[in-house]
Parts: sequence; structure tokens; C-alpha cells
Amino acid sequence: MVSERASARTDRIRLLVVGLALSLASHAAVADVVAVVSAKSTITTLSKSQLADIFLGKVSRLPNGARVVAIDQAEDAPARAEFYLKLADRSAPQMKAYWSKIIFTGRGQPPEEVHSSADMKKRIAADPAAIGYIEESLVDDSVRVVGRVQE
Amino acid sequence: MRTLLSHGENPKKHPRRRYIARSAGLQQATSHRVYAYRTHKLIAAVLIPALGCAAVVNADESMSPADPGPPLFSFSGFGTLGEVHSNDDRADFTSSLFKPTGAGYTHSWSADVDSLIAGQVTATFSPKFSAVLQVISEQSYNNTYTPQVEWANIKYQFTPDFSIRAGRTVLPCFFLSDTRNVGYTYAWVRPPVEVYHLLPVATSDGLDVSYRSHLGELADTIQLNAGGDTTHLTDNGGDSKARHSWGVSDTAELGALTVRVTYQYTNLTVPALDSFFGELRQFGPQGAAIADRYDADHKPNRFFDIGAGYDPGAWFLMTEWAYSQTNSFVTQSSAWDVGGGYRLGKLTPYVLFARTKADKLSDPGLDLSSVPAVLVGHAIGLNAELNSILSTNPVQSTGSIGARWDFVKNCDLKLQLDHTRLGAGSSGTLINIQPGFRLGGTLDLFSAAVDFVW
Repeated sequence: MVSERASARTDRIRLLVVGLALSLASHAAVADVVAVVSAKSTITTLSKSQLADIFLGKVSRLPNGARVVAIDQAEDAPARAEFYLKLADRSAPQMKAYWSKIIFTGRGQPPEEVHSSADMKKRIAADPAAIGYIEESLVDDSVRVVGRVQE
Repeated sequence: MRTLLSHGENPKKHPRRRYIARSAGLQQATSHRVYAYRTHKLIAAVLIPALGCAAVVNADESMSPADPGPPLFSFSGFGTLGEVHSNDDRADFTSSLFKPTGAGYTHSWSADVDSLIAGQVTATFSPKFSAVLQVISEQSYNNTYTPQVEWANIKYQFTPDFSIRAGRTVLPCFFLSDTRNVGYTYAWVRPPVEVYHLLPVATSDGLDVSYRSHLGELADTIQLNAGGDTTHLTDNGGDSKARHSWGVSDTAELGALTVRVTYQYTNLTVPALDSFFGELRQFGPQGAAIADRYDADHKPNRFFDIGAGYDPGAWFLMTEWAYSQTNSFVTQSSAWDVGGGYRLGKLTPYVLFARTKADKLSDPGLDLSSVPAVLVGHAIGLNAELNSILSTNPVQSTGSIGARWDFVKNCDLKLQLDHTRLGAGSSGTLINIQPGFRLGGTLDLFSAAVDFVW
């Protein structure tokens, strides 16, 4: 009786560990995501904390006075989940909760959204003030990488 | 040992008892909620000029084609569907002191405690000029779900760090007060009633100024508010008035750490118990002294709160301490809570503990030896009534365990168990106290809630 219960418990723990490992593995499978601006932008590099301030809506101007507008990928885009997980240690639901606090207290609105990494690249390339993120493999000479969010 | 309520009547059958129990249960009615009948005027006052200005401003600040800017109107909303079960059928548990019923006596399982739905429209006329209107439907004082205006203001953003809002805002008194209705934004089923009853709902019609400064990695936001409001109490409780309200709140953010400190002043008038204090005053100087001590006629109310949250991502901790002081029947109370959780993927188990105490649960009342013999019976009745009012000042503590499960996009499910101990001689935050209810007893609650945002 006792040993049955004990083995049921170890089974449950094993299940939990496997589940955790799988969820970690699924994050690791996503390609590296990089922050990009237009090739026409004057921005060359940004620190992780500067990027976090921009994408969490805390700043809309850089220290040099340049205006900066964050652009998001669609809510379901893998690049978006990966970007915020690395940038702010926040999952998609945590980011949704974060913006809900700001929206429902009238303090602001989340960044404008584009549908795909390709749209993101077009949107960024056309606007010197815009900043977004795409998979590193998609970077070409229309955009400039200004920051990485990997540890 | 069982302590029985001194007056055993069913409040429902005795409107006056119910009236007093409710209005005393009101606690700091410093709050300033207004109901539908006043809101239409306000919406008109705030939004019509705002919409009128929109065209002018848009013409003023034309944007470059590459930057279409935010849309003029954005619509969003949130809601909670909740069920609460209480193991004590002689009193109602409820989440806000403006709700007339809850789980326990009125319903074994109550959806009224936590359920609500709200819609919001944000109008962004220009990068600097915006307006917000948020309407919420939840159980209100008259047991209807008539939509009420929670936020309705216009905002002018002078710089990215400096803004002024005019209209209705929710006062940032508690750590979670301005988002307390949006269950999706926090882990627990509801903010702990021990702390949040001290100043239950706090919208203010007036002005609000916000200034943010940056010091290296530290972002500090100071917010000043001034205004006032009228709160409609229960069916026969009349309007309580909060005049000359002002407050200051400072929020410091450093990485994963957030600390907020608030001071709020209000001049409070609660007419609900006027006839009771009028009767006391007929007992000469000693009656007048007691009435002056406990009535709520233009009484200053001072409120202080400090809260902190640490949320590095995988886990979080939150704590706050609040203190409220007024020379009225609600006397002075303090409360604190501490809670935390650990995120295991989509599942977040959490624990929470909260405690509140009030400094005055009883009073000797009128000195019967100096009362004319013919009035002794009446004086005894008034003393009992005074003590029953004071016994509704909550003293209680609650330990909670629960879990939040983010089971699908923009939606969570929460299950929570609460174990509450009432302080000796106190009915805690409970309402609709019934004959046989045990003051100073314990209470177990089970809550289930689904929160959503869109």
C-alpha cells in the first residue's frame, strides 16, 4: 500500500520533470531572434536593458533624443514568444498581463503589430524610427542588427 | 466556546438592523464610486469636448506616411466568471463592501462575489492627446448588474514622462487597486479582502498629474490626485460623500522590483447612521460626546499604504501594509499581506497570507447610572446598537493556497482555498450576519474563477 503510493508519487514527479524538460526544449528549438532597425536609422547598438525599456513601453526616446517606435510580431509568432522570454523573462501570458495592466489603467497601448517576420522587415526598413525583431537568419542589408537578447 | 450575537433578529426582517449592519460594514466609505444615474452626465462632460477637439488636433499634428501611428480608437475588455462556496451559512462572504450579498447565507455557491465584465475604448487623437472610457458590469449596491463607469478621463501627455488627466480615475491607493478588477493581471482569485476593505473602491472625479523620472536603471513615477465623489450606499443607506480628497503616490521600479507608497486624504460624511447618533445626542453632554466620537460627519480620513512586488519571471513575491485612521465608527485599522508563487510553465501555484485589525470593537457607551430611570431601557438598547456597529470593524486573518493555470491564450483558470480566522468579538469582513453566527469563529472558502482579456 505504502510502496504503491510512493511509486505513484515518483511517477508523478517523473512526469513533472519530463514536462519541464520538454517545455524548456521547445524554447531552445527556436532560432536566435535579434533586434533590428532600418539600415537608414542612426542607431547602431542597444543594450538589453535599453531594449527592454523600449519594448515594455517605458521609453519612447533614446538618450540622444531620437524617437523610437517598437513594433511587435503577431501574438502567436514564435519569434515574439522567444524575444520576450529572453528579453524580460516573461512568457506570452505574462506579457499579456503586463500590457493589460497598462491598457486598463489608461496608461498606454501595446506596440503596433505586424503579421510576419517578412512584414516586420518591410515595416522596419521603411521607417528610421521603428525597431523590431526577427530571426537572425532573415537579416539582410535593409535592416541593421542593434541588439541580441540571448544570455 | 460559542459566542452568540447579542441581537438575534434576522436583518432581512428588520430593515433598520440591516441598514446599520450594511452601513457599518461599509467601513471606510471613503470610496467614491458613483452609479449609473450620475455617469451619463460625466461621460458627456468628458468625452464630448474630447471628441470635439479630435478633428482640430489631428489636423494640427499630421503624421508622416511611414508612421501611421496608433489607431484612433482601440477597443478592449476583460472579465471574470467566478464561483465561491463558503462553509458558513450564517453570513455572507463578499469581495467588496459595496456588494449586498455573497457566498454563505444568501447563496451556498455565489457567482456575484468575483464575476464581472468590462469594456474599454481608448481614443488616441494624437500622440499627446487621448481619452479612455471603461464601463464595468458587476453586482452593485442594489443587487443589479447595471453598468458603471470606472474610468472616464482625457489625458494630455506634455512629454513622454509628464501627463495630466481630467475626469474619473481609480485612485492608486493599494498596490493592486487600479487593476484590482482585471483578474488576469495577478495570480490570486481576488486581492485579499483584509487589506483591500480598508478603502474598498476608490475612483475619484478630479485631476491627476503624473511625472516620471529616470535615475540610471531606476524609474520613479510620482502621481498627485485631487477630487472627490459621492458614493451611493445600499438601498436605504443614502449617499456618502468624500470631499476635498487629495493624495500622492510614488512608484519606484528597478528591474524586477516595484515599490509603491501612497498617502490619501479624504473628508468623509456617511449619513447612514445619523438617526442613531441623533438619538444618542438626546442623552445630554455624555450622549453628544459619544456621538461626536463615532459619527461620520465631515471627518478627516487618512490612509497610508506601502507595497512591494518582486517578479524576476519564474517566481514572484508581493507584500503590502496599509493603515487607515478616522475619528468615526470605522475608527482606525491596519492590514498587511504577503504572498508569492512559482511559475511551472502554464501552472502557477501560490500562497497568500493576509491580516487586518481594528482598534475599537466595543465601547461602554452611555453611563446608565446617570440616565433617568425611565430612559434606562432605551439607553441599554443604544449601547447594544453602538457595540454591534463597532463589532463589524473587521479583525481577521486568512491563509490561502491556490493555483493559476494559463490554459488557453488570454484566459486563465484559478482555484483557491481560503481559511479565515475571525478575531475575538468580530464578524470580520462578513455581511448579512444571521442569528447563531459565531463571532470570532473560522471560515473556509473555495473559489474557482476564469479570467479573460481581449
